[in-house]
Amino acid sequence: MAAAAVSLEQIDWENPEQIGLWQDAWLRFRRNPIAVGGLVFVILLALDALFAPLLVNFHVIADPLKQNPADSYAGPSLQHLLGTDYLGRDLLSRTMFGARISLTIGLTVQAIYLVVGGTIGLIAGYFGGRTDNLLMRFVDIWYAFPDLLFILVVVSVFQPSLFVIFGAIGLIGWVDLSRLIRGQVLSLKEKEFVEGARAAGSGPSKIILRHLLPNTLGPIIVSLTFGIPRAIFLEATLSYLGVGIPPPTPSWGIMISDGNQAIFAYPHQVLVPALALAVTMLSFSFIGDGLRDAIDPRMRR
Amino acid sequence: MAVAQGAPPRGALLSIKIPRGRGAGLGLYVVRRILWLVPVLFFVITITFVLMHLAPGSPWDKEGKQLSAAVVRNLNAKYGLSDPVLVQYGRYLVNVVHFDFGLSYQYEDQPVSSLILRSWPPTATIGLLAFLMIVIFGIGIGVIAALRQNTWVDYLVVGFSTIGASTPAFVVGIILIIIFSVTLYRVTGGNFSLPTGGFAFDQHLIMPVVTLSVLPIAFIARLTRASTLEVLRQDYVRTAWAKGLRERLVVTKHVLKNSLIPVVSALGPTFAVLITGSVIVESVFAIPGIGRAFVVAVSSRDYPMILATTILFSVIVALANLVVDLLYTVIDPRVRLG
Amino acid sequence: MDDSAARLRWLRVPALLTVVGLVVAACGTSAPTTSNLAKDQTLRVNINTEPNSLDPGQEQYSYEADAGASISEALLKIKPDLSDVVGATASSWNISSDGLTWTFHIRSNAKWNDGKPVTGADFVYAWQRVLDPRLAAPYADPFFDGTIAGAADYGNLDPTKDAAKIPDFIKGLGLSAPDASTFVVKLQAPAPYFKWIASLWMSAPVRKDVVDKFGSDKWATSPDSLITNGQFKVSEMVSKDHLTLVPNTFYWGGAPTLTKVIEYEIADDNQAYAKYLNGELDIDNVPLANTDLVKNDPVLSKQLKIVPQLTLFWMDFNTRKAPFNNPKARLAFSKAVDRDSMVKNVGRGRWSPAPFFIPKGMNGYRPDLGASQAFDPAAAKTMLTSAVGDPSKITIDFLIRNSTANKQLGEFLADQLQTNLGVKVNQVVIDSKTVTTRLRKHDYQLYVGGWGADYPDDQDWFDIWMTGSGNVFGGYSNPDYDALVKKADVEPDAKKRQDLYDQAQKILIDDAGGGFLYQRTYYQLVKPYLQGLTTTAEDFEVIGDWFWGKVSIAQH
Repeated sequence: MAAAAVSLEQIDWENPEQIGLWQDAWLRFRRNPIAVGGLVFVILLALDALFAPLLVNFHVIADPLKQNPADSYAGPSLQHLLGTDYLGRDLLSRTMFGARISLTIGLTVQAIYLVVGGTIGLIAGYFGGRTDNLLMRFVDIWYAFPDLLFILVVVSVFQPSLFVIFGAIGLIGWVDLSRLIRGQVLSLKEKEFVEGARAAGSGPSKIILRHLLPNTLGPIIVSLTFGIPRAIFLEATLSYLGVGIPPPTPSWGIMISDGNQAIFAYPHQVLVPALALAVTMLSFSFIGDGLRDAIDPRMRR
Repeated sequence: MAVAQGAPPRGALLSIKIPRGRGAGLGLYVVRRILWLVPVLFFVITITFVLMHLAPGSPWDKEGKQLSAAVVRNLNAKYGLSDPVLVQYGRYLVNVVHFDFGLSYQYEDQPVSSLILRSWPPTATIGLLAFLMIVIFGIGIGVIAALRQNTWVDYLVVGFSTIGASTPAFVVGIILIIIFSVTLYRVTGGNFSLPTGGFAFDQHLIMPVVTLSVLPIAFIARLTRASTLEVLRQDYVRTAWAKGLRERLVVTKHVLKNSLIPVVSALGPTFAVLITGSVIVESVFAIPGIGRAFVVAVSSRDYPMILATTILFSVIVALANLVVDLLYTVIDPRVRLG
Repeated sequence: MDDSAARLRWLRVPALLTVVGLVVAACGTSAPTTSNLAKDQTLRVNINTEPNSLDPGQEQYSYEADAGASISEALLKIKPDLSDVVGATASSWNISSDGLTWTFHIRSNAKWNDGKPVTGADFVYAWQRVLDPRLAAPYADPFFDGTIAGAADYGNLDPTKDAAKIPDFIKGLGLSAPDASTFVVKLQAPAPYFKWIASLWMSAPVRKDVVDKFGSDKWATSPDSLITNGQFKVSEMVSKDHLTLVPNTFYWGGAPTLTKVIEYEIADDNQAYAKYLNGELDIDNVPLANTDLVKNDPVLSKQLKIVPQLTLFWMDFNTRKAPFNNPKARLAFSKAVDRDSMVKNVGRGRWSPAPFFIPKGMNGYRPDLGASQAFDPAAAKTMLTSAVGDPSKITIDFLIRNSTANKQLGEFLADQLQTNLGVKVNQVVIDSKTVTTRLRKHDYQLYVGGWGADYPDDQDWFDIWMTGSGNVFGGYSNPDYDALVKKADVEPDAKKRQDLYDQAQKILIDDAGGGFLYQRTYYQLVKPYLQGLTTTAEDFEVIGDWFWGKVSIAQH
C-alpha cells in the first residue's frame, strides 16, 4: 500500500484531532476480523513478493524459470507441491513469483491514478469555475473511452512490456478517482476550517495539501483498495487476449490464460493461479470494506 | 469496477450547468449533453487515429507467404494509405460527418458500417439481458441480504458476490461450458445439455449472459447491501421498524429509494464493464458480436473498424451516463442538474 | 491452431508413397454405400477464422481456401496423393512443343451455380482481373506475373500513377479464348510446373457480368451474388459464426452425397473441442494441451486421425547481424536445441524432429543430411566460443508471435539456448502484424519461420533460400547454393536434378541458413460415422477439406 502510505504522510500529525480520527479508524478496523484477515493475507503476500527470490536462493522453493520438459504437466508431488506447468516448471514457485507482478501492477497503477486523478480532482474542486469546467471536459473525454478498448489499442501500439501495461491501465482509469476527489473537495471547501485557513492567509497549495487532501483521504484509500484487485484482474484479461506480460516473467494473468488452454486435460494448471488471484481479490475487498466502515464519519457518530 | 466507493460522487457526475427550473431546463440539459458528444467524439477519434498510426504493424503484413512489394503498394493505393497521415485524418473526419466509416481493410472491400450492423444484435441482446439481470438480481439480493443481515441468506449472498467478483470471466465461461455443456451431455447421454457456444435467441443465451453478469451482479449486490444497511441504521427507520409490519412496509419503500442512490450511480459505469466483458464472453462462447470484432480488428490493424467501434462504444457509454444522471433526479429530488 | 508460425497452404508433392499409405490407413477411405446413410447429410467443421474474402482473386489464407476449394473450381485439381493434377473445369489440356502455349479445353457441361455455362472468356476475364494492379490481388505475384507472357511488368505498374498504362498492359497479356470452350495461355518461358498454378485458387474463373453488376468489391460478399462454379456453393454467410455450403445443382460432376457443409469460425480451441465432444462438430483439431488426454481416452483415441503435413519450421537467423553473420555461430545455435525433447514435450509427440530442410514425403527428403545440425550441446558451446568468443556476452533478440503455441515453443527454445550455450535470450512476444513488419525490416535476430510449398516441386522449396528471396527474412546468401539451385530448376533429367538439389540442401544445412526444427502433423478428431474422408498432405484447416465431395455420413 505504498500509494496510500505516501498520502498518509500528508496527515497533519500535530493536529491532535486528526490523530484521534485515524486511531479511531484503526480501532474500528481491528475489531473487524474479516478485514484483519484480509490485511494479514496481503501482508503475507507482500512479504512473499519481497522475499521470493531469497527463498529460491535458500532452496526453500524451486526456481520458477527452471524448465524440466520431461516432467511437464505433472500433478502434485513431494518435489512439486502443486505440480508443474507445460515446461515442467514448478507451479508453487511460479505462483509465488506471480504475486510480485500482480502486486506491482496493482500498486503502480493506483499510484498513477492517485497522481493524475488526485491532482486533477483537487485542482478542479478547489478552484472551481472555469478551471473546473475545463478539467471536467478533459475528464469527460477520457471517460468516453471504453477502458479495455483503449488499453488493447495502446498495448498493441507500444508492444506489451511491464512499463507499457502499467501505463496503459494507469492512463485510462484515473477518471473515477478524479471525480471522487473533486466531489469531496467541492463539499469540503465550504467548511469552516478551510474558510478559517484562507482567512489566516494560507495559499492554495497549503490549503490543498494540509487541509483538503487529508480530509479526502478516507474515500481515496477505500477507492484505491478496491482499485488494486481491479488492476490485477485487467492484467489477467490482457494475457487472455494475447497482450500480457512477455515471458519468461511469471504472472498470474499469464498462468491463468495458459492454464485455461489446458483446462480439459490438466485443470490444476488454471486452478492454482486462479485461486491465488481470487484470494488476493477477496483480501483487498475485505480490507476495502473494513476501511470504509472504519473511516466512514457517519458510522463514527 | 472503477466505480467510486464510499460517498457517491453525485455533484461530480452532474457537472454541466443548466438554468434552474425543471421542465424546460431538463430538456435544454439533455440537448446540451448530447451536443457535448461532438467535441468528445472528435477527441476520441483524434486520439485513436494517432495511436493507430503509431502502431508498428502494417495491415498488409501477415504470417506465412509474403505479399510482394508491388502488391503492398497496390493495396496502399487502393485504401488511400499512401497519402500523408494528415490528409487521411481530414478525409476520415469529413467522411464520419457523413456517417461514412470507410471500408474494412481486413474483410476485402466490405463497408465497416455493415460489419458493425451485422455484429451488433448479439452484443446488444446479451448486453441488455445481462444488464437486466444485474439490476434485478444485483439490487434484489443486495436488499434481501441487508434485511436479513447476519443470517445464512446474508452469508450466502456475501459469499457468492465475493467469489463471483474474483474469478476472471474467461475462466467462469469455460467452467460453465464444462459443467453445463460437456458434463451434462455425457451424464444425460446427450439428451440434455446447454449449447457450448454460438448465438441464437434461445438457450444459447444462458451461459454468456450469466458469465457476463456474474461480476457486476456481485458488485451491485455488495453496493446495495452496504447502502441499504446504512439507511437502515438511521434513527427514524429503526423506530418505524420496531413498530410493526405496516410501518415496515412503508419504510421499506423509503429505504429502498434512498439506498438506491449510490447504486444508480454505479449502473452507468456498469455499461462500460459490459462492453469490456463482451470482448471476453464473445471469444469464449464464439459469439459473432462486436467485442470479438474489435479484438480481431486490433490484431489485424483494421483501422476503420477500430475507429468505428471505438466511436460506437463511446457514444453508448456517454448516453448511459446521461440516462443515469437523469435517473438521479427521479430518485433523489434534492439533486438538481446544475 | 497449433504452431501457426506459417500458414502456407499450397504444398504439393510428387509421388508421396509413404504419406499416401498413412492417409489410407488412417482414414480407411471406405467407399460410401447408400444403404447405411444417415438421413441428415450435414457435415460440421471448424475453420477457425472468418474468411476475409471468397473472391478467388482475393483469397490468401488457409481458412479462405478451405471453403474456396469447394465453391470455386480451377482448370485443374490435385490428386489426393499429390502425384499429379487431373482435369477439373478443363477436361483436357495440351502444351505446345516449345512449352510456351498451354491450351485448356473446358468441359461442355461445366456450369456456374446459376446454370450458365463456364466459358474460356470467363477464365480470360478472371486472370486479367488478377493481374490488374487496381485489384491488388495477393497472389498476382509471383504465380501469374512470373509465368504469363506480358505480365512481367506487373511489379512496375503503380495503380494510380500508371492508370493510363493499365488497359494496354492487360490487353497485352498472353490470355485468350478463341472459342467458348477453349482457353489459351502463353507463357514467358517453358514452365512444366504451370499445371500446378492452373490448379491454384486464383486460377478459378470469375463471371464478368456478375462483377460488373454487383461491383468488384461486393459480388463475393453475399450468397446471392457469389456465382461460382465449384461442386458446392455458399448458401449462407453469418459473419464470425459460420458459412453454409450446399451442392451446386448444375455442377458437371454430379451431386455430392453431403447436402450441407457448415463451416464454423470458432477461434477458441476449448470452445471447438467442447463442441466436438457434444456432437456439434464432426471434425476438430485436438488442442495441443489435450493430446495426452485424447490419446489415453478409450473412445477419443479411436477417433484420432494423424495426417503428416508438408510444413517445416526452423530458426530463422538474421544473417545480417552478429553473431549470426557467422555460419559457425548459426550452426552452434542449431546444435544446441534438443529436438527430441522439443517434439516430445512441447509438441506432445505430435511433430517429427527435422534437423534438415526438405520434409518427409517430398522427393528431396534426406534426413541423413541433417547430421551436421544434430543436437550436441557440448560441441555447440565449443563451436560458438571458437567462432565468436565468450557466449555469456551475447544477447539475442528472439521475435515471437503472441499465440500460445508460439509462445510455448519460444520459451522452450530460449531456455535451450540459454542453458546449452550460456547466451542470453530476450523473448520479444508481440502481435503477429508487428512481428511481420519487423521481419520485413530485418529488425530482429532470431525468429521461428516455416514453409509449405505452393506446388509439388523441390524448386518451390529451394528457391526461397536463394539470395534476395522475400520469404526467408534472414538474408541468407551463398553463391554456390544459388548456382546449384538455378541449375537444378531447369535440369530436365530427374536424377541429375535431384542430385543437384541434394548438394544444395547439404550446403544450406551445413551453413545453417536456418536451424531446422520439426515437421508438422495434423492431429484431428473425426467422428466414426464419417465415410470417404479423403485427406492430403496439404489440407487447409480441416483434414479432408479438398474433397468434401467424397464424404458421406453413416447412420449413427
